[in-house]
Amino acid sequence: MSRSERKSGQFVVPGDRLGVIEEFTSGPGTYVEHGTIYSKTTGRTLMDTLNKKVSVYPLVQAVGVPRVGSVVSGQVLDVKSKVGVLRILNVGKRSLSGFFTGILHISDVSPSYVETMFSVCKTGDIMRAKVISDKNRTFYLSTADKNLGVIYAFCSQCGHVMLLRRQRLECSRCGNIEERKVTSDYGEGAM
Amino acid sequence: MPKRKTEKKKLNIPQKNPEKLIAKDDVRIDGRKLDELRPVKIEVGVLGNADGSAYIEQGKNKILAAVYGPKEVHPRHLALPDRALLRCRYHMAPFSVEERKSPAPSRREVELSKVIREALEPSVFVEYYPRTSIDIFIEVLQADGGTRCAAITVASLALADAGIPMRDLVVACAAGKVDGRLVVDLTDFEDKEGEADVPLALMPNLNAITLLQMDGGLTVDEFEKAVNLAIDGCRELYKFQKEALKSKYVAVKEAVEE
Ligand SMILES: [Zn+2]
Repeated sequence: MSRSERKSGQFVVPGDRLGVIEEFTSGPGTYVEHGTIYSKTTGRTLMDTLNKKVSVYPLVQAVGVPRVGSVVSGQVLDVKSKVGVLRILNVGKRSLSGFFTGILHISDVSPSYVETMFSVCKTGDIMRAKVISDKNRTFYLSTADKNLGVIYAFCSQCGHVMLLRRQRLECSRCGNIEERKVTSDYGEGAM
Repeated sequence: MPKRKTEKKKLNIPQKNPEKLIAKDDVRIDGRKLDELRPVKIEVGVLGNADGSAYIEQGKNKILAAVYGPKEVHPRHLALPDRALLRCRYHMAPFSVEERKSPAPSRREVELSKVIREALEPSVFVEYYPRTSIDIFIEVLQADGGTRCAAITVASLALADAGIPMRDLVVACAAGKVDGRLVVDLTDFEDKEGEADVPLALMPNLNAITLLQMDGGLTVDEFEKAVNLAIDGCRELYKFQKEALKSKYVAVKEAVEE
């Protein structure tokens, strides 16, 4: 097939030739080597003839990987006085292969001063956080935003779901009242 | 007792070992022509739990490949700061060969794991996923020669099925010398009884060879011919690879649209 014959919607696999850089610019799902544009994924071609751009719309995507800046959610594995450990299970809405481990330090919980991590989250809670660093093979997290923090808390006495009533977290079963750094959409079910 | 002696002699010759590996009319013992591949069947996406998977039947070879990742690296200290750690485990099931194989990794399996990983790594954009690992598991269910090549062909599809960005697919095929003739895609019997075996892995669109080995003896001229024969075999196999991906992804999409 000659290179200019490519149309939108054609099925391509990694390595399929899409054009040359004299003809097109390389869009998402493609890469350039020695002046030739190739697909780097399994998908369908998108030829933008107006902007002379070729892309590949993926039919399959790799599992998510946390990156600096991505919003992740997961379960609290462990809490110490200055640090919490999160088992990251989702990046945005995409699930992962297994899990990644993230660290939430007390100084990154909130813009204001926080006395102890035990008032932020407890083991088993579901949290949403943002990746702020990946130095030393570790994902460092932050919850310093009203959309970030605990999205589901569980009673430390009986394990039942805590409900938000008049700005306070109350156990749905035993009425125990606890403290967390909750998100503005706490309990609405959004990961 | 001369009669008994001749009987004994007959029994000593195994039935399936013919005197010649290639008959006069250029037909191999399994009926193939010199440049003919074994029958190939490939399926993509056969394991629900894996992030990507594929299955190949090439002659009597039956091989499964599963890909997990990119995921967190365990143990932690193996993580690479600038790219994903690509790991490969080639394993033969205990029932894959005639004599039971110990399930513990043999020296050969450890070596093949490394060889296969090195043949696949140039095709993967490992630099997109620093501090993660991409794990490839290859399970040989039945072996009949050329498993390293078939394993590369199927593992490359499992990587593509996992959606991992790749420069090209990798396809592999062996050529060799049997009965003084150059042939493609050797069976285990041809490999053992023949004079030479040249496994080769290729990125067909980039025209790049990612694996080239030789076992046995060939002249320079024969070697060059064997390499070309293996490349032709790879190009033929590549059509099956592409078709396998197409039948998974195009069929799925059309089913959704209906
Ligand atoms: Zn309670």
